Amino acid sequence: MKLVPCEVFENRELSQGNYLLTLTVPRSFATPQPGQFVHLRISEEGDPLLRRPYSLEGFVSRGRLRAVRIYYSVVGRGSRILSCQPKGTSLDLIGPLGIGFKPRPRRLPILVAGGRGVAPLLFLSRKLREAKRPYVFLFGARSRKELYGVREVRGGRLHVATDDGSVGYPGNALDLLRREWEGGGHTPLHAEIFTCGPHGLLHEVAEFARAEGIRCEASLEGPMACAVGACRGCPVPLGGNGGGNGRYPAMCVEGPVMDATIVDWRRLP
Amino acid sequence: MTPSRAPTLSVRIGSLTLRNPVLVASGIIGYGTEYEGLVDLKAIGGIVTKTVTRRARGGNPPPRVVEVPAGMLNSIGIENPGLEGFLETKVQILRKLPCAVIVSVEGEDTREFCELVDGVSRSGAAHAIEVNISCPNVGPHGLKYSTDAGLAREVMTAIRPLTKLPLIAKLTPNVTRIGEIAQACEACGADAVSLVNTFVGMAVDSRTHRPILGTVLGGLSGPAIKPLALAKTWETAQAVDIPVIGMGGIAKPADAVEFLLTGATAVQVGTALFADPSLAEECVRGIEEHLRQMGASAVDELIGALVVPEGRGMIRAGRQARPAESRGGA
Repeated sequence: MKLVPCEVFENRELSQGNYLLTLTVPRSFATPQPGQFVHLRISEEGDPLLRRPYSLEGFVSRGRLRAVRIYYSVVGRGSRILSCQPKGTSLDLIGPLGIGFKPRPRRLPILVAGGRGVAPLLFLSRKLREAKRPYVFLFGARSRKELYGVREVRGGRLHVATDDGSVGYPGNALDLLRREWEGGGHTPLHAEIFTCGPHGLLHEVAEFARAEGIRCEASLEGPMACAVGACRGCPVPLGGNGGGNGRYPAMCVEGPVMDATIVDWRRLP
Repeated sequence: MTPSRAPTLSVRIGSLTLRNPVLVASGIIGYGTEYEGLVDLKAIGGIVTKTVTRRARGGNPPPRVVEVPAGMLNSIGIENPGLEGFLETKVQILRKLPCAVIVSVEGEDTREFCELVDGVSRSGAAHAIEVNISCPNVGPHGLKYSTDAGLAREVMTAIRPLTKLPLIAKLTPNVTRIGEIAQACEACGADAVSLVNTFVGMAVDSRTHRPILGTVLGGLSGPAIKPLALAKTWETAQAVDIPVIGMGGIAKPADAVEFLLTGATAVQVGTALFADPSLAEECVRGIEEHLRQMGASAVDELIGALVVPEGRGMIRAGRQARPAESRGGA
């Protein structure tokens, strides 16, 4: 693992408080997999103190340009400072890090996205398209304005839902999943779920998958200090038999993508 | 100015010679391989491992870390594989590291401390042992031995005969008179003291009316604590003759120099390394550059060189006021 210098190529507000950040990286940067993340230093001034983990929305490798894309929302001090970094700002990152999504051969991937959790699933959908694999993309957002990336979903079947009913089905991504599962004739032997979004949604998707016996991977989010498995600051509580026997996998190195059905979502903040 | 030779950076901690006075603190770098490629172990003095406890620990429930202004609160709870797991999985790795390895240990009672010191000492993995008697995140026993000079004496007296390795007592700053605890450790055979461990702190969410950390209380580290840590280092360095290893909020090379000036023989870099993995190496270069600029030939000229107007800055009356009981040993 090396420290990777990067530079802000673009940092654009797409809808209120939601930004797309493009960072150029050196040619030596390892090709990231969907679901992996980078640990980004968002200011050279030492404030905020810690790096921030960001899941990748995409990876661009065109000609001499190599860049990672991050879709983020302003939710606190760190992301607010990041949103003010103009084009040309030099930053650095550690990555790509963590375990990404692992679609199995010959199964239909059903991607279930909530809000800005759409980011790593857009990355995954592009990979699936490149591999000429069919998939289903279910995306729930608060409103029409936050339906980021839907035009990019090609080669797959897309259904959207909004909380305010401004477009698509009035409801959330879980409602879409229930409808898809009931109406699509899927079986656990032939389909699997990949999901990312607020942990409340992921909990519900995981419960649904467990009840139906469907394989389900979720990309988790949480604060991290080191992001390389050293500090043990990002524990994932496990449920099921024995509650993981008191063992907490580190989200940074054993995730952030994990089997959603073994996570104890009630104990995960 | 005549071109001078590179200043000598090596320092001694008991029988251990460090090639330079910069270490990475416990809990930051795991067991030395997690930061492979990010931290150049050949360039620094050494590392202190994640603390090893007698039995494996899963650690505390989440959230375990939260950033606060200029600092970080943690309540990790010493997640580690326990002594047996350490001996099985970490010793071989540590033996191959190209720097000094200080293994940190923490026991729930004196017997556990003895078993840990004995086990780690025999393992051949350690150049020194840091005795963590100051963890705020493992329940009541964590701070017990470093908030009571009598108990500090008890544990140091018990472990001293079990190893020839240098023993470094890691102290908590959560006491009124840290010098007395340091003197108790010194009197019972500690080769050095290291400080500060984290300050007990908490973060509260005013919207949810809940504590942010899963354990309510945690330990504060980062630049926020540097002035507090410097004061504790200063106080301790005046109270004991053994080396003091200073830490707390080092985020740039000048911070490391400040700790040396206040009397630390070596420093440990902690939280800020998460943001800047090259920080420890930068501190080594910064200290060397500082020595060149002052025309010094060795780092010893910097240690304790703080210029203080006579009679000022004494928290208590300095060395003369050391309690007689702590002088003659146990």
